[in-house]
Amino acid sequence: MAAGGGGVADPLTPAGIPCAFSPQSQAYFALASADGHLRVWETGSNRLHQEYVPSAHLSGTCTCLAWAPARLQAKESPQRKKRKSEHIETSNQIDLLALGTAVGSILLYSTVKGELHSKLTSGGHDSRVNCIQWHQDNGCLYSCSDDKHIVEWNTQICKVKCKWKGDNSSVSSLCISPDGKMLLSAGRTIKLWVLETKEVYRHFTGHATPVSSLMFTTIRPPNESQPFDGITGLYFLSGAVHDRLLNVWQVRSENKEKNAVMSFTVTDEPVYIDLTLSENKEEPVKLAVVCRDGQVHLFEHILNGYCKKPLTSNCTIQIAAPGKGKKSTPKPIPILAAGFCSDKMSLLLVYGNWFQPTIERVALNSKEPHMCLVRDISNCWAPKVETAITKVRTPVMNSEAKILVPGIPGHQAAIKPTPSQTKEVENKRKLGGNEVSIEERLGALNIESNKGKADLPQTNSFPVLLAQALESNDLEMLNKVLQTRNVNTIRRTVLRMPLHAVIPLLQELTKRLQGHPNSAVLMVQWLKCVLTVHASYLSTLPDLVPQLGTLYQLMESRVKTFQKLSHLHGKLILLVTQVTASDKTKGMTCPEQKAKLVYEEESSEEESDDEIDKDSDDNWDEDEEEKESEKEEDVDEENAEEDEEEEEKDEEIGEDRDVASEKELNGDSDLDPENESEEE
Amino acid sequence: MVEEEEESLRVVRSGGSELSFRRAVFSADSKYIFCVSGDFVKVYSTATEECVHVLQGHRNLVTGIQLNPNNHLQLYSCSFDGTIKLWDYLDGILIKTFIVGHKLHALFTHANAEDSVFVTVNKEKPDVFQLVSVKLPKSSSQEVEAKELSFVLDYINQSPKCIAFGSEGEYVAAVRDFYLSVYFFKRKKTSRFTLSSSRNKKHAKNNFTCVTCHPKEDCIATGHKDGKIRLWRHFDDDKKYTYTCLHWHHDRVMDLAFSVTGTSLLSGGRESVLVEWRDAAEKNKEFLPRLGATIEHISVSPAGNLFCTSHSDNKIIVIHRNLEATAVIQGLVKDSSILTGLMIDPRTKALVLNGKPGHLQFYSLQSDKQLYNLDIVQQEYINDYGLIHSQLTRAAFGCSGNWLATVEQRQEKETELELQMKLWTYNKKTQGFVLNTKVNMPHEDHITALCFCNAEKHETPTLVTASKDGHFKVWILTDDSDIYKEAVGWTCDFMGSYHKYQATNCCFSEDGSLLAVSFEEIVTMWDSETWELKCTFCQRAGNIRHLCFGRLTCSKYLLGATENGILCCWNLLSCALEWSTKLNITVMEPDPNSENVAAVSKSSVGSDLFVFKPSESRPLYVQKNICREEVQWGVFVPRDVPESFTSEAHQWLNRSQFYFLTKSQSLLTFSTKSPEEKLTPTNKQLLAEESLPTTPFYFILGKHRQQQDEKLNETLENELVQLPLTENIPAISELLHTPAHVLPPASFLCSMFINSLLLSKKTKSTEEIPDDVDMEEEKESDSSDENDFTEKDQNTSTTDLAEDGEDIIHQLSKSEERELRKLRKVDYSWIAAL
Repeated sequence: MAAGGGGVADPLTPAGIPCAFSPQSQAYFALASADGHLRVWETGSNRLHQEYVPSAHLSGTCTCLAWAPARLQAKESPQRKKRKSEHIETSNQIDLLALGTAVGSILLYSTVKGELHSKLTSGGHDSRVNCIQWHQDNGCLYSCSDDKHIVEWNTQICKVKCKWKGDNSSVSSLCISPDGKMLLSAGRTIKLWVLETKEVYRHFTGHATPVSSLMFTTIRPPNESQPFDGITGLYFLSGAVHDRLLNVWQVRSENKEKNAVMSFTVTDEPVYIDLTLSENKEEPVKLAVVCRDGQVHLFEHILNGYCKKPLTSNCTIQIAAPGKGKKSTPKPIPILAAGFCSDKMSLLLVYGNWFQPTIERVALNSKEPHMCLVRDISNCWAPKVETAITKVRTPVMNSEAKILVPGIPGHQAAIKPTPSQTKEVENKRKLGGNEVSIEERLGALNIESNKGKADLPQTNSFPVLLAQALESNDLEMLNKVLQTRNVNTIRRTVLRMPLHAVIPLLQELTKRLQGHPNSAVLMVQWLKCVLTVHASYLSTLPDLVPQLGTLYQLMESRVKTFQKLSHLHGKLILLVTQVTASDKTKGMTCPEQKAKLVYEEESSEEESDDEIDKDSDDNWDEDEEEKESEKEEDVDEENAEEDEEEEEKDEEIGEDRDVASEKELNGDSDLDPENESEEE
Repeated sequence: MVEEEEESLRVVRSGGSELSFRRAVFSADSKYIFCVSGDFVKVYSTATEECVHVLQGHRNLVTGIQLNPNNHLQLYSCSFDGTIKLWDYLDGILIKTFIVGHKLHALFTHANAEDSVFVTVNKEKPDVFQLVSVKLPKSSSQEVEAKELSFVLDYINQSPKCIAFGSEGEYVAAVRDFYLSVYFFKRKKTSRFTLSSSRNKKHAKNNFTCVTCHPKEDCIATGHKDGKIRLWRHFDDDKKYTYTCLHWHHDRVMDLAFSVTGTSLLSGGRESVLVEWRDAAEKNKEFLPRLGATIEHISVSPAGNLFCTSHSDNKIIVIHRNLEATAVIQGLVKDSSILTGLMIDPRTKALVLNGKPGHLQFYSLQSDKQLYNLDIVQQEYINDYGLIHSQLTRAAFGCSGNWLATVEQRQEKETELELQMKLWTYNKKTQGFVLNTKVNMPHEDHITALCFCNAEKHETPTLVTASKDGHFKVWILTDDSDIYKEAVGWTCDFMGSYHKYQATNCCFSEDGSLLAVSFEEIVTMWDSETWELKCTFCQRAGNIRHLCFGRLTCSKYLLGATENGILCCWNLLSCALEWSTKLNITVMEPDPNSENVAAVSKSSVGSDLFVFKPSESRPLYVQKNICREEVQWGVFVPRDVPESFTSEAHQWLNRSQFYFLTKSQSLLTFSTKSPEEKLTPTNKQLLAEESLPTTPFYFILGKHRQQQDEKLNETLENELVQLPLTENIPAISELLHTPAHVLPPASFLCSMFINSLLLSKKTKSTEEIPDDVDMEEEKESDSSDENDFTEKDQNTSTTDLAEDGEDIIHQLSKSEERELRKLRKVDYSWIAAL
């Protein structure tokens, strides 16, 4: 799979597929795939930028490609004038791409215009073009071919400037020195040419197979004692077909040494090499080598002198696709190319298949010797036209996402006992431990009440079932129990349930309350019962605040608007009563003499209202004071009282039932904060 | 253009300038598309969406561009600076400048109006515009004054959409409010057609919005505010004019365009659907829907194979003839308001801000291109007036781009606030964002600030939200795993408040140990370990508008800018005010790579930039009046490769670049390069000559042409002779196209026809006659408008047959007469030769 496209008939051709990152900002990645298509990808958005099929793509497939250097940029200089709002010149616009073909022609393709710019044929090569190099300054192009020649092109007029025989066998690779005055070529031996005179300056020998890549690694010599003539002391790197070693050579002043200075070892034949030039002595050369087996090896080394032992990589990067199931083994994804970003701290990785590669920027800050990135590229295939037009990416929103709504734990900070409070609680417990009497007394009370109830055999409650259900967390049983609507059954069950089940029950209720409001209505009944019946037990618990915090928050968020609603309700009642009263007074005003009587009636009404309020207030006061059993009775009594009151008061009934029901609700909600306050 | 000494930093525009201000114009071969963009004209390739050239030279907003009708490789542009410039767009060179002097609002050209162009100018009153024709004098100099204005139409609309030139330039149509006026050049007469504008419902929205003319027929299409399109015919008569209605748009028709052949009409509006009306019939409609935003302009390429629509979200879509979008040229999307501010995505290094409604846009500053829009709200956007959509109000990146927090809100009425906070995680496997936690109503009121704790040593990702409800919440990532799945999710860890004041800002210190939250006038400091309130700072100088910690060596300082124009710096070690100054700061941004803080203050003239270190009392760099408008947002963008400026004024730009966004949403930055140097690259660029090889077709056709060329060279004198021959061909075709019943008998014509063919050989072989023919030909062309008496005299010696023919010819049209006469002459010469 790795670099599978390179499987050409000739075993001595390099394994890679011609591809290159655009210079400077690596904004584009050009790739000439085996089907003869040239595709240019945007590295930033991982989008196909353009596609071009040369007219002779079947006969003359692309063998090598090279980006022209960006349009020249002027250097910095200090004294300048100011002008307003001027456009940033897209001065580093990348344009021309040179393609060498198997039939010896060279195409210049303009990526800005999206069309073929020119074709260099006349006087050029008659055989496969092996390597193309642009001169960085003067716009010249150098190419080498199987026809043993090296050609220097003038791209401005698209004519051959110079053509000379480079070797006795085919010339496989080229590289221009950093100062632009020398040219390295690799055939049977590696030769260093002086570009001006086209004379051989040095020979290097060492590779057994054709050299597939040549690169200068330094732009300054390591020792700066001698004057620098532009070439002496520089290092360069070479990689060859079927060779797992990359050799580093140094250009020496004396013509003695012909062997490699050192070598890097990789796991397979190098397919794509990129490096960061080291600009001074201290800065290490960073080298990224993509191998045929789909791995990237990273080297970081300060080049100075000999090293006999081949160096191994500092870091290896692999990419794998996650397996489908849990047990399936991950599949490796081949890396096709790797290029350093301009900040030298991150690497652009191209991986996947040649037709739809994925381009990713990976930061190189880990010190691990082996990085394995897990990537899912299954859905990358199938290019979508619509996204290409609208450029909209839709992030994934799946059901696995956590959803927080008000009242759900996590939406608000969990209520934690502050350190001081916990201490107090602890103190309290200690005190309780010392005294014991309270606990005992409570226990006794409970037992008593239980005993009292136990005397009466009752079948219409299921405390045991509930306890078992809570214990086993059996959803079916819980549903069966908790979905009872009968208030009396609920009350009896709660009364008779074992104490240790109270907290689990409350937690279960809290969980269910978070659900749909309709189902929560049933739970409210349960909650009300539990809180009224077991308030005293709950108040003894030391960790009550964190345990019931979520419940408290839930209720608070649920009844957040309730206060306003009850305000509104109160005002409405007032208005309605006043309106009815005024109606009545109107009715009464007709006989003018009885005006005073109307006043009396009003006052009586108000009094009655007050009475109700007072009554209820009294009730609550009593509740607070009294124990749970009595409380419960009280509630009953209250209900009864209310019923009675309702029967008594015409107006109350006249309004509507809702008022009464809301009152009940009101009672519910009020209960909880009071409990809380009790506990504190 | 104020020139200051020793000022080396210049404010330059960076991307995102408006592309949809005026109609885009296609080049004749549809390879390029031109659009105005601020002070420039941009040339884009329709195939690759790349900007090929930027034509710069105007000193103010460019308001119109048109191809030179006489040379389709040249482009005219007009601007508010009162000049018309002529460009060679292939090489990006300015050819000529015509100085008109008035503020020019629109530009029109027409082939028949040879050396003059039409412009819209403003006279006296602010809302009264005139269409005038400007005679462009022929002169070799670079700058020419063109003061010869002739008045055409008065009281027209400013927008160029409201003026259109008719076929062959015979008339010009202009619309304004409720009337359409048509000016006929030949008759020098204006006709005016008014629609009823009564206040009742039916006609209330009859306003004209745009106009276009049929390229071939006498037909004007007008768009209206109520979505109707009216096609006017017979408008040369004030009484007999008719119009037909086409109605599909439910809202104002934004622009109309006829295809080159005139067979279909294109219309677009707020629905963002391009409608193609075939044969001007209501039934034959084709649609291209979902174009993303309101269609502002439509234009058609002269070659007829491409359309393009300019949209309100600053993009141009190139559409193929068969209604298929082929390319999108997208600038920085201009949303109604940028609420999220400017951010840098740590992963892609792209600039992130509000994009399309409900989207975040990722804009690459290096390549000056939009990378993509991230659909955060994921609700269908209905492009209709008066609808309130969810807005993306806040966004923040955390943990080197692994987390993205977004807040969206929708508020229809004061009490109905809908808030949603989404926390997205970057999934490396799929290389995309995945929703992790969605929080409904994270606060009870608007969220004012959102920040991640980006300290490296901080293990659990932490997010803080501050809200107007008086609380700030701390969210942390917790383990949500249960027996079914492994998961992480965000939960609220702490909720803090301070005396019920509104929380306005929040930020973490560089090491993440301290959290500063400002509550109106008071700054509170919280310990991020225990969430305890450590101390408060209060200067009583108005609400805190911006808050930030110093960095690196200045990390002991906290900076706060208040609404009353005070900038305070507190020392966190001594808990005392270090210094304060009076500065009305609108933007304050710390540089992530250095201690520097950039502050932009608003003054009466414009905005000033101050760069300072919190530890030093003197600013490092001050630049007054960086732009005329208020600066809304700013951001430091770390440089990939650090620069090495040595001068003191530049040092703050060494590691980061400062970008800022003004109120009118233009993205600006600072450049140290001089204008001259900026201009050089285009001249120095790699000039590679186009030389395409010979194809097999070339060998066939090219050889043929070469032969022709050779022949031409041989018979250079005969060149003139060959010309009439080629002209003969249409004559014959015309003869063939004439209805049979008006033609002379075939037997008679046959001989003529054959004779004409015979002549071609003769003219080549014999060199005496061509002169004759040529002379006659010339005379004919000269006296084309004259009547045929003189020619009759010349032709007295024709045969009887020819005379018979002439009788018939009298019934033919003039042009046909002329053609037949040619044949007659041919005939005559042949006889003479015999």
